[in-house]
Amino acid sequence: VRTSGWDSLEPHFTECISRDQETFRCWWSPGSFHNLSSPGALKVFYLRKVSPVSEWKECPEYIHSKRECFFDVNYTSVWVPYCIQLRGQNNITFDDACFTVENIVRPDPPVSLNWTLLNISPSGLSYDVMVNWEPPPTADVEAGWMRIVYEIQYRERNSTYWEALEVQPHTQKTIYGLHIGKEYEVHIRSRMQAFSKFGEFSDPIFIHVTELYSEETTFPLTFILVFGTLGILILLMLILIFQQQRFMMILLPPVPAPKIKGIDAELLKKGKLDELNLILSGGIGGLHTYAPDFYPDEPWVEFIEVDPEDSAAGEKEDHQGSDTQRLLGLPPPVSLNHHLNIGCSSTISFPDDDSGRASCYGPDVPNQDTLILMAALLPGQAEEEEATLDEVERAPSPEGGESHFVQSQTAGSHTWVNTDFYAQVSNVMPSGGVVLSPGQQLRIQESTLSAEKEMQRKGKEIGACEETGEKKQKGLQFQLLVVDPEGGSYTTESTARQISAAPNSPTPSEGYQTIPPQPADAKPAATAEDNQSPYILPDSPQAPFFAPVGDYTVVQEVDSQHSLLLNPPPNLSPHPCMPQQPLKALPATPVAYVTPDLLGNLSP
Amino acid sequence: MLGYIRSVPAVWRVLVCLVFCRNLTSIGAAPICTNAQTGCQALSLANLFDRVIQHSARMHGISNDLHSEFEQYFLPSKNQIGRVSRNCHTSTILTPNGKENAQRMAREELTEVILKLLMAWRDPLWRFHQGMAHNHDFNNFSSNKALEMSDMVHELRKGVEKVADKMQMLGIISNSVSSQVSPEALLPSDSAEWHLMRDYDLLYCFRRDSNKVQNYLKILKCRIVPEHGC
Repeated sequence: VRTSGWDSLEPHFTECISRDQETFRCWWSPGSFHNLSSPGALKVFYLRKVSPVSEWKECPEYIHSKRECFFDVNYTSVWVPYCIQLRGQNNITFDDACFTVENIVRPDPPVSLNWTLLNISPSGLSYDVMVNWEPPPTADVEAGWMRIVYEIQYRERNSTYWEALEVQPHTQKTIYGLHIGKEYEVHIRSRMQAFSKFGEFSDPIFIHVTELYSEETTFPLTFILVFGTLGILILLMLILIFQQQRFMMILLPPVPAPKIKGIDAELLKKGKLDELNLILSGGIGGLHTYAPDFYPDEPWVEFIEVDPEDSAAGEKEDHQGSDTQRLLGLPPPVSLNHHLNIGCSSTISFPDDDSGRASCYGPDVPNQDTLILMAALLPGQAEEEEATLDEVERAPSPEGGESHFVQSQTAGSHTWVNTDFYAQVSNVMPSGGVVLSPGQQLRIQESTLSAEKEMQRKGKEIGACEETGEKKQKGLQFQLLVVDPEGGSYTTESTARQISAAPNSPTPSEGYQTIPPQPADAKPAATAEDNQSPYILPDSPQAPFFAPVGDYTVVQEVDSQHSLLLNPPPNLSPHPCMPQQPLKALPATPVAYVTPDLLGNLSP
Repeated sequence: MLGYIRSVPAVWRVLVCLVFCRNLTSIGAAPICTNAQTGCQALSLANLFDRVIQHSARMHGISNDLHSEFEQYFLPSKNQIGRVSRNCHTSTILTPNGKENAQRMAREELTEVILKLLMAWRDPLWRFHQGMAHNHDFNNFSSNKALEMSDMVHELRKGVEKVADKMQMLGIISNSVSSQVSPEALLPSDSAEWHLMRDYDLLYCFRRDSNKVQNYLKILKCRIVPEHGC
């Protein structure tokens, strides 16, 4: 094709095509030379270089209607160069071209296109299609004269872009990933293998797959799966919520709280040290179980620290062989201080108890009242023989309440160390101290022992029984101390004197004595002195001669004046003729009683 | 570099051999037998034909690719119809120009034509490859293709010879086929200034001839091994 200039277009060849590599056609166009459009105005000559001598020949077959020159089988030689010329009148050559037949082959499009559905994706949204066709009938593919490769193109119905798949020589092709519901258009074209000229496209076919029933089958499955998982999740959540505690127990087991036998953990939490101390010390509602457990190792029973001055004033003799010690099997204390020290060191591991510890580590001497009260509460040790001896010897000389008191106090100081398990509060000191009186049994025993010693010392042979009985009678005086809880913490001196003065006669009788409340408090008890309960006995034992009050006394009742009326101890009937009863069972139902004031004084 | 280049032909030879040999051994997993040796499995003629046809198709494809590359590099694209014809050195070999001509031709002749063509292209392609390797204008891809082409011609010729021997053994063709090349088919010694143009013409000619070989083999197979449509 020759282009010459802008304004005019010469007659030229448009195209030469061979469909089957056995024939070929050439078309020409007159261009702008319309006068040459009539048939026969232009002629085609060809030259086939098959031999060294070649000549131009005219087109063997004209098809003027198409302006086509057709070369049939006889005139077609493959692999032979051809040259054609478009000539007009007077041998004017408008156009020429040279080619070889195999290079102008454009195969016909395939025929018999159809498609089959291969599968649908599980989601039901896409599907695969297999398209197959027949090779063009004009191409002799079976003989192998032409090897054709095909190219499939497809597009959506409304799209303008064709999707082209890879060229391949087979007569079928799978198209993947078509969408359900969309309509697709497919057409195929072919070309010679190893050549570049494609033939025309085939007639398109349409592929359309609508939503099938297969979706319905998958729909309930997904439905079930989704709701199943939701249900399981909800169930798990419910279980978790309602069994929360159990899960918390499993995941985060609680830390065990400290457990002390007999002690409520709530006390530890709320910081009620008073009650705790009380409990631990074995007081009211105390840990009786502790007592036998601790005593062997924790002789803080003996831990009743005394006033250093008193102890200094007192005897420094070794108090050995107290009943309590003997009872517990403890070694006799070497000395007071030493004993205290021993006791101190051994209670390191004891739980924090102010009442016990303070007496040990504190530089200060603990409150005497506290000690006294402790002595009252704690099972004291048996009174030493010497102390007993002293006390008994001093007993018959009532010199005065004070001195008695002092002596008793002094004596009592020793007795504190070696008091029995439980000691009775005999008197309340003006300073607030509490005077303890040994147990009745102890008294008897002590008197017996002292009497024996006395006998031994003096070498007299006195009827032990009689002496004992006398002593016993002396000792069988007891004095009940009734302290008004509402009154002052301590009784006044007058009251104390009264107390001291009252018990003078060694009446071996049980007696009560009430201490009326303080008149200074403007109470109706102003005339309490005269107002005495009918329980008041006329005779009260002498102060030194402490009535052999029972170790434990039961509060019988509280009278109108808020006085505690105590039961007399049970009739202790240790036979006087049986002095050697160091270990006597303590009376039943012992109760150590303490006023709230003293209780308050207990904790330092 | 040179060592690598020299090893490349060997590598390509091996690869080509593997391709060819795999085709041969894929069927029977045994070497091709000559003279019906014991213990080896003979391949059928159809299989042999398939292999050589496959090989020739491959060869033609490479030649087409190279020709297209040359056309891009050196010559602007001209009119659709084609270029001016050239004189290929194999023009002296008489070859059937059409399907009927090829079908009417005797098998021996056809086989001989094929062998002649293949024989005629052995040296030119080798020289062409050498020329491409030394010329830095071409990339390695083209150079490798040229080498592959050269090797393929060699292998194809041997394959066709084997087919011919098989056919002779089967009595399909009468006398032995000679692969002697006429002297005029040989290319004259080249000069330096004609290199580039000659290479392009060479590729054009070879592309045509490889197409011939492919078609002839197909027709031959269709005639000898009867199949549907032949």
